[in-house]
Amino acid sequence: MRMMCSKVHRILQRMMVTKGLALSIAASLVVFSLTSGCTKKVDDTDTTINIPLRANVKGLDPMHANDMYSSMVIQNIYEGLLEYHYLKRPYELKPALAEAMPTISADGLTYTFKIRKGVLFHDNPAFPDGKGREVTAEDFIYSWKRLADPRNASEGFWIFDGKIKGLNEWADAIKNKTGNFEDPIEGLQALDKYTLVIKLTQPYYQLQYVLAMPFAVVVPKEAVEKYGGEFINNPVGTGPFMLEKSSDWVRNSKITLKRNPNWRGETYPTEGEPGDKEAGLLEDAGKPLEIAEKLVFIELTEDQPRWQNFMKGNLEWVEIPNDNFDAAVKDDKLVPELAAKGMKLQVSNAIEVVYNAFNMRDPLLGKNKDLRRAFSLAMNIPLRIQRFYNGRAIPAQGPIPPGLDGYDPNFKNPWVQFDREKAKEYLAKAGFPEGKGLPEFTFETLADSKSRQITEFEVQNWAAIGIKVKISTNTWPQFQEKIKNGQAQLFGLAWGADYPDAQNFLQLFYSKNVSPGPNDSGYQNPEYDKLYEAALKLPPGKERTELYKKMRDILVEDMPWMFSLHRLNYRLTQGWLRNFKYNEMTYNIYKYVRVDPKKRAELKPKL
Amino acid sequence: MIPNLFGITLITFILFNILVSDPATRFAGKYATAERVETIRAELGLDRSLPEQYLFYLKQIVTLDFGRSWATKQKITTMINDGFSATLCLTIPPFIASIIFSLGLAMFASYHRGSFFDKGVVVVCLALMSISSLVYILFLQNVLAFQWGLFPVSGWDPSWAGRWEYLVLPWIILFVLLLGTDILVYRSVILDEAYQDYVRTARAKGVSNWAVYTKHILKNALIPVITMVVIGMPFLITGSFLIESFFGIPGLGGMMLKALNESDFPVIKAMTVIISIAYMFFNLLADIVYSLVDPRIRLS
Amino acid sequence: MNAQANAQIETSHELLAPTQVNLNRRNSLWWDAYRRLKRDKVAIVSFWVIVAYVVMAILAKLGILFPDVALSVGDQYMPFSLEHPFGTDIQGRDVLARAVHGAATALSVGFIASSIALVIGITLGALAGYYGGKVDALIVWLYTTIDSIPYILLIPSLTFVLGRGLVNVYIAVGVTSWVTLCRLVRAEFMKHKSRDYVLAAEALGAGDGRKIFRHILPNVAHIGFVQFGLGFVSAIKFEVILSYLGVGVDPTTPSWGIMLDDAKLELSRPFWGNLTAATLFMFFLVLAFNLFNDALRESLDPKLKNK
Repeated sequence: MRMMCSKVHRILQRMMVTKGLALSIAASLVVFSLTSGCTKKVDDTDTTINIPLRANVKGLDPMHANDMYSSMVIQNIYEGLLEYHYLKRPYELKPALAEAMPTISADGLTYTFKIRKGVLFHDNPAFPDGKGREVTAEDFIYSWKRLADPRNASEGFWIFDGKIKGLNEWADAIKNKTGNFEDPIEGLQALDKYTLVIKLTQPYYQLQYVLAMPFAVVVPKEAVEKYGGEFINNPVGTGPFMLEKSSDWVRNSKITLKRNPNWRGETYPTEGEPGDKEAGLLEDAGKPLEIAEKLVFIELTEDQPRWQNFMKGNLEWVEIPNDNFDAAVKDDKLVPELAAKGMKLQVSNAIEVVYNAFNMRDPLLGKNKDLRRAFSLAMNIPLRIQRFYNGRAIPAQGPIPPGLDGYDPNFKNPWVQFDREKAKEYLAKAGFPEGKGLPEFTFETLADSKSRQITEFEVQNWAAIGIKVKISTNTWPQFQEKIKNGQAQLFGLAWGADYPDAQNFLQLFYSKNVSPGPNDSGYQNPEYDKLYEAALKLPPGKERTELYKKMRDILVEDMPWMFSLHRLNYRLTQGWLRNFKYNEMTYNIYKYVRVDPKKRAELKPKL
Repeated sequence: MIPNLFGITLITFILFNILVSDPATRFAGKYATAERVETIRAELGLDRSLPEQYLFYLKQIVTLDFGRSWATKQKITTMINDGFSATLCLTIPPFIASIIFSLGLAMFASYHRGSFFDKGVVVVCLALMSISSLVYILFLQNVLAFQWGLFPVSGWDPSWAGRWEYLVLPWIILFVLLLGTDILVYRSVILDEAYQDYVRTARAKGVSNWAVYTKHILKNALIPVITMVVIGMPFLITGSFLIESFFGIPGLGGMMLKALNESDFPVIKAMTVIISIAYMFFNLLADIVYSLVDPRIRLS
Repeated sequence: MNAQANAQIETSHELLAPTQVNLNRRNSLWWDAYRRLKRDKVAIVSFWVIVAYVVMAILAKLGILFPDVALSVGDQYMPFSLEHPFGTDIQGRDVLARAVHGAATALSVGFIASSIALVIGITLGALAGYYGGKVDALIVWLYTTIDSIPYILLIPSLTFVLGRGLVNVYIAVGVTSWVTLCRLVRAEFMKHKSRDYVLAAEALGAGDGRKIFRHILPNVAHIGFVQFGLGFVSAIKFEVILSYLGVGVDPTTPSWGIMLDDAKLELSRPFWGNLTAATLFMFFLVLAFNLFNDALRESLDPKLKNK
């Protein structure tokens, strides 16, 4: 009897154990069948646009719009005086909240803007009755004062710093507690409700460009005062999209913007560049814009999940990651399997330059030009482009990228043409034949996988001629600190244009811009400075372009940087996405873009 | 407990206020001027003396107001609250499932100690533990989610109805990760008990094996098991930062990882202090439970 | 753990001179363990696997095995072949060579970090257990505090402050993992310091140092051994995760963690070389260590003498 009981107990015990196993298997089967296998029906009236973000949005306050991803969202919620034309290339400005392009005085120091009438801020509890009020010229002055107010530590002050009459004095007064925020500024005046006058201290030909940047958009005083520090989570703008409630922003996951029913409206552009018509980008020419019900930004920091989500139809476009490139593109065309799914390929060239910088303050690197030349000649840029960019880049010959005045497609920089023998020659000339006697250098880079891999490649190139380089990986803030403090001996970075004027690149070598300014290599050359200052005073034109070219030649000769490449961005779009043309200068394109919901319902389940 | 709290704050303070370099430059942006850097330094409170800064830090902890994140300017307390929900949903189910499953399996294995099954269980567990968690994540995400399409690749739905489908694969991975250690630990605990004299006595008295196991061994083994469970609870909070970041789950672990990547000291300090406090709290809880269950132990 | 063994031996050796006691005593515990291990086939196989890894690592570091690990030996992402059993990685380097050198990195981290932890743990544990009082209170406060901060936060924060690099990984891991050992050693010292054999030694004129080093410590040594093994495995796993996150060794040192970081992106090509090589190499080493350590611990446990 006892034996029987124990046997039974043994079996029961075994069952208990396996019960646990069975339960968990059953549970997961239930869940998985509920979630995956059955295809979800796609709503054929849904106009939602889903956009990927590669990094997290930090905050939605325009005065802190220092990072690309926050700016991407901000520029669809807020608007400024000017914006970039959606389709035209080279990039051109057009009025947004301004009625027309500004009238400029003869001496180039006074800009007069007329504001559009009837532009309303989003409805928000910050306003009485919750109804958004009309935008006036004063609002722009208020918004720009926030940038200058030292208590805000805005990263955007540079767009006006030293350029507007009375602005710096006003900021100093606030800092010294001798002035108030409400004090008037001579260079920013509202002549009447809809007229704004800007007076400059010196000619500033980039002014109109900076007015199209996210920093310069208009914000309502009421919202800033009501929300205080939480204004970053409660944006109130004038744009076609709005954040209806702050819970629509799920931190580190996604942001859902909804259509602004009170938007001023716009019509689709009637002109573009050659090729736009054929690409179907002028189908809606002249028609009033139909804004999507929802614009959803989905934060996916890892490449693969982003790619996979696109492949499943959860995103409307995606940048093709390196590792998936060969499976997606052959001979510069989309592979048939993907084309059959309706997807399209789009290429645009990034207005940027990727480079390696020498710390010109370093006693060895800064003084030994031949050594710098050896570094540069040893670098196999074409192989680098092939390996890490799938061939999607152009070797850079100088600091100015294609598409800007001053770029010469026929110019060849002799020091970036890969030549190992010549590199060894120059190394010997520098006094270190075969690297003998050369100390080990340290190359600062970012800790992410791609940066690390590219740096490993570069180090291999230099090791091949005898230069030993150690790699030091950093987080972004650490990286910046080292650079700003002049502690980075060699480092690799990219500079993307803030606006389409080569001055934005050439300023990186101006001696007055050394750390903590953007002149990270610490390059100082009085001859260069003279040319730079002269160019600042000239309007865009032949004379200025000549100066730009001269400056480029000096930089090529002195080599504070090893110019690497300009990237080409390859993007895939879904077959149901219309009017999508990526704009490298601005992110407020989603008012033009629309989804064909019937097409989506048809194509998505087949992916 | 208080002196330990003091110690923790001291360590984090030393690490992040003293040993690290001046963070003011990073806030000034691309186009900083020396002036603005100074202003920022003052805003951040970095121009105050070290003891002053330390006192301020203590005040923050006591009032649970950690200020704002340097990277996002969001209120840190809000960030932590937001992250809790996701992390707990991610960690609690596999945690509980693993305890139940492991305990059952461990009991069974130790019951058959020395048998092929027992040895097999030990080896399999050791094998599971010999593979890095990274490998599980990379492999399973690629195969199960991407290639076979059984689960969504990543993502999150904040609604209570929608979040579960994004959690299944992470649950599976966490469960597998926890299994290895849990089974082995429980097995050794149970075995320790199995060889005690009282067991031999019980068997000699004729108590059936089954009764021996449930009534005597399990009850006594519960003490160290509960201790282990309670000590493991901080894991519920730190989540698994790798899984969170890979699957896009907006929890505390992912937040910590991001803070490290962005040198976001206020967030790192806040999280370290909170988690350490939770840890100490759970340890205390374990001691209390321990003393309740075993009247021989008295709290010192 | 060895309480019973101690009890048995104490009584019989009370009358002998302290030095003789210790030698004999150490021998019989260790000899027992050794005999038991010899009989355990699993333990033997694991031991030789570990030795094989160590030899492989030393040869790699000396430049005899795979000296060209940093060089590009072919195209990138070549498929598995006889010449390159795991293919080549994104830089064209042989993945097998990287895995072998990665083993050297892992072993060095395991060894050095654990040694640091061993030294700190035993020293502080001995001091706390032996002297008691304020010293004890201070050390207990120190390790409870460190213990309250989860490793997952402490180690990356430390490497953050110290910077990247192999040496800093050693320090970071070593400085945070001595707590368990310290606790155990402290408990043992507290038990032993009032034991008869120690009192006998004192009666014979032994000072503090002698008592600690020549008498008590050898009886506690086996705990150190086992903890060393556990610490070794943790250290390796930590290094892998730290390197993956980019806060571990600098990229010029091959590491399994960096190989896994590379693998993350490559799986979609598909290229499985880095993932497979790193996983396999780590698997066998860690498994061997775990099995051996397990066997060691059991063999040193006198309760199981009659198994």
